[in-house]
Amino acid sequence: MRKLTGLLFAGGLGFMLLAIASGLDFGSPPMRIGEAIQSASPQEVGAANIVTSVVLGYRGIDTLGELAILFAAASAAGLVLGRRHTTTGTQRKGGFVLFHGGALIFPFLLTIGFYIIFHGHLTPGGGFQGGVILAAAFFLPLLARPGARLHHSILSVIEAFAGASFILIGLAALGEGQAFLQPMLNQDTLGALISAGTLPLLYIAVGLKVGAELASLLSNLAQTESEQ
Amino acid sequence: MIPGVTLELILYVTALGLVIIGLAGVVLSSHLFRMVLALVIAEAGANLMLVLSGYRWDAVAPILMQRTDQPAMVDPVPQAMVLTAIVIGVGIQALAVSILIRIRQRYGNLKRREVAEKMDAEIAASAGIRRDISQDAPLGERPLSPLPAHTAESRGGDA
Amino acid sequence: MNNLVLTIALPLLGAFLLPVVMRLSQALGLWLGPIILGYGCWLLGNLWFSDISLPLSVAIGGFDAPYGINLYLDSLALLFAFAVQLLGLICWPYGLNQDTARRQALMLLLVAASTGLALSGDLFNLYVFYELAAVATFGLVVASSTSAAYAATFRYLILSGIGSVLTLLGIALIYSQTGTLNLAHLAQLAPELLNNRLGLTAYLLILIGIGVKAELFPVNAWVPEIYATASSRLSGFLAGLLSKLALLIILRLLVLIFDQPEAVQIVLILGILGVISGEFAAWRAKDMRRMLGFSSIGQLGIIFIALSLPDERGLLALLALSLHHLVIKTGLFMLADGWGGSLERLTGAAKRSPVGAALFTLFALSLVGVPPLPGFWAKFTLITELAAQSEPLYLIGLLVFLLATVIETSYLFRIVVKLYSSAETTSEQPEHQQLPGLSLATASLFGIALLTATVLIAPIGDGLQAVAAEAKNTELYIQTVIPATPGGQL
Repeated sequence: MRKLTGLLFAGGLGFMLLAIASGLDFGSPPMRIGEAIQSASPQEVGAANIVTSVVLGYRGIDTLGELAILFAAASAAGLVLGRRHTTTGTQRKGGFVLFHGGALIFPFLLTIGFYIIFHGHLTPGGGFQGGVILAAAFFLPLLARPGARLHHSILSVIEAFAGASFILIGLAALGEGQAFLQPMLNQDTLGALISAGTLPLLYIAVGLKVGAELASLLSNLAQTESEQ
Repeated sequence: MIPGVTLELILYVTALGLVIIGLAGVVLSSHLFRMVLALVIAEAGANLMLVLSGYRWDAVAPILMQRTDQPAMVDPVPQAMVLTAIVIGVGIQALAVSILIRIRQRYGNLKRREVAEKMDAEIAASAGIRRDISQDAPLGERPLSPLPAHTAESRGGDA
Repeated sequence: MNNLVLTIALPLLGAFLLPVVMRLSQALGLWLGPIILGYGCWLLGNLWFSDISLPLSVAIGGFDAPYGINLYLDSLALLFAFAVQLLGLICWPYGLNQDTARRQALMLLLVAASTGLALSGDLFNLYVFYELAAVATFGLVVASSTSAAYAATFRYLILSGIGSVLTLLGIALIYSQTGTLNLAHLAQLAPELLNNRLGLTAYLLILIGIGVKAELFPVNAWVPEIYATASSRLSGFLAGLLSKLALLIILRLLVLIFDQPEAVQIVLILGILGVISGEFAAWRAKDMRRMLGFSSIGQLGIIFIALSLPDERGLLALLALSLHHLVIKTGLFMLADGWGGSLERLTGAAKRSPVGAALFTLFALSLVGVPPLPGFWAKFTLITELAAQSEPLYLIGLLVFLLATVIETSYLFRIVVKLYSSAETTSEQPEHQQLPGLSLATASLFGIALLTATVLIAPIGDGLQAVAAEAKNTELYIQTVIPATPGGQL
């Protein structure tokens, strides 16, 4: 009975939403603020990737909140799972391919991760995408050797200082008499690697923070799983 | 192409379909881990809907290129929002899974009904209420909660 | 006025750094959070008494609204932001154990998010802060690390996940119709673009989504278990303040954007259902914490009824009820710190803790609405306002409200009688529940605040009236955020 009502309800909601959504003007959005941002952002922010201008400039505090959410989730997961010391040696190691493949791919993942972070203001990508790849780079060895552990103390230092530097860059602008998180420094040529003022710095902070946060989340989960 | 089936229809049906499948999954599944997975599906649908809100016909990604004839670009704001929403979703899912690991360790399994009953029993025990009335006693013997424990999540979905 | 953002940025900074600072020097780490919150109180308190003309709008990142995100500060936002920082300080997780750094960091995040909820003037930014508050809450609840806390948190997480999916859908609908997210800009566009079925659907989705935290009727299943398993301080913060902040968002949306009769009616109906379900469940509850949780659902239902009132006096009643409930519920949860268990155990507790019993009685009297206390005044405003409405639905609301008051009186005074009864505690109940000194002191603080409000009821009433008038003024909001340009609309 519950299942039937649930299905009926879900179907009804879907039908209603579809009816509403089909009334929308698909393919030609109003772009009230989108258009203005597109035309103003090369001068105001100076990043070739306009999504980056929005993420770090126009909606910078959203990104800060997002970092805080990741941090909160990682702290909460740490609280839940605790830090038990696992006994090494009892776990089965990964196979040959996983073990050596992981070691082989590690430097490439690092390079790609940092490349994506550094070019976040020029190409699709940025701190979040690059940070995820960094986390993967450090998590891969854990899969190959389940007993191995990440250095949580180093991770938490990176976590702390990457997050803090994002806010401190914002506060620096405030100290200069401007608004919090206002882009500073020289914008330079549009499309150059060193351009767009503080945006690349912010993205490096984001990338490190995301990488450290995800790595600690994943290693926490992996360790707890190997406890069982 | 079948007449009447336009690209927009397909996209909207996909986005809203994912949301509905996800919500229905949360309501209907009796296993806690499947509820998390269903939530992930629903979130994907909501994110797709958000991206669609900035889509423009024949427009390119909002990245300026070194050329004079810059074609029209899609709205950058929904893309930034969706990036935020995805990361938020990932954080919450990771937390949900880590909580599930602990629930599994403490309560032995992840069946929705059993976990809800054990939770009720534990709260009552820690509050010092004698539970001589079993959970299966007539409804009138139990504290009337606005949402009975084992259907609580599902009723939430009916909202 | 750019400093305003410090009330959000500094708690976040503190939270990020706290785990490292705590490892370097525990003494410094323990002081870090309270100092940051104290500074926040000082900053906002100064604003209240300074001659800066409110309301004002602060553009973050130097990007003017509606392109960037702005903080909007009127008296209402200032009041709530100040309450967040102060209550954060009061409900601070003192106490030392191996998780202190994480718990305090999460509390700082919760305060930062709540301040953001009070101040932000951007729809999506509100969503981000809302999620941050949710995740920080999950972390703080599981910090008590009982199995029940894990299960309760998981239920809350799923419900709030559903809420966030619905909110995102609502935001997507609004954005694809209007192409903006700024509340003031939306308010400008709403009469033209959102006064239709689509707008109403988006509103409903967001109402249910945000309503999870506001303990709105169909999505409040998490309430009793979370309050029963979380620490009392945290429950006090959640029930007292976070629910009101969610309410504040709904209020802003209703006043600024969705000024439609249907939108108001939905709130009224859900409020009535919330009152009925919450109060009856509270009456049947057998332990203190769950009773307080259910009663808070009922109280918030009453506040939702006040939210549906059309004019300024309705908003005044809403504010009075909210602030009153903030003080009372937080105070009661402080008492539940020692008296959290079964109600049977409270028999004769007045002898062991006369101050606690006196405070409970005081809170109960004011919650029910006995004349000299502020609760009477708040409820009286609501009754007169409800009675003045001509629509029959409001009459039902009035009747339900009166019924709720009767039920409230019954279950609260059952406890008061128990507290003062001299019946011998039987051998069955060996544990005499003691109120921890810190909780009792905090509860006394709220008791004193309540009594002060009783004395100063007239000036407070006038002040709230002004606050309500300002919050109801859509034109003022739009003018402040987007100063009129000669060319007209953007």
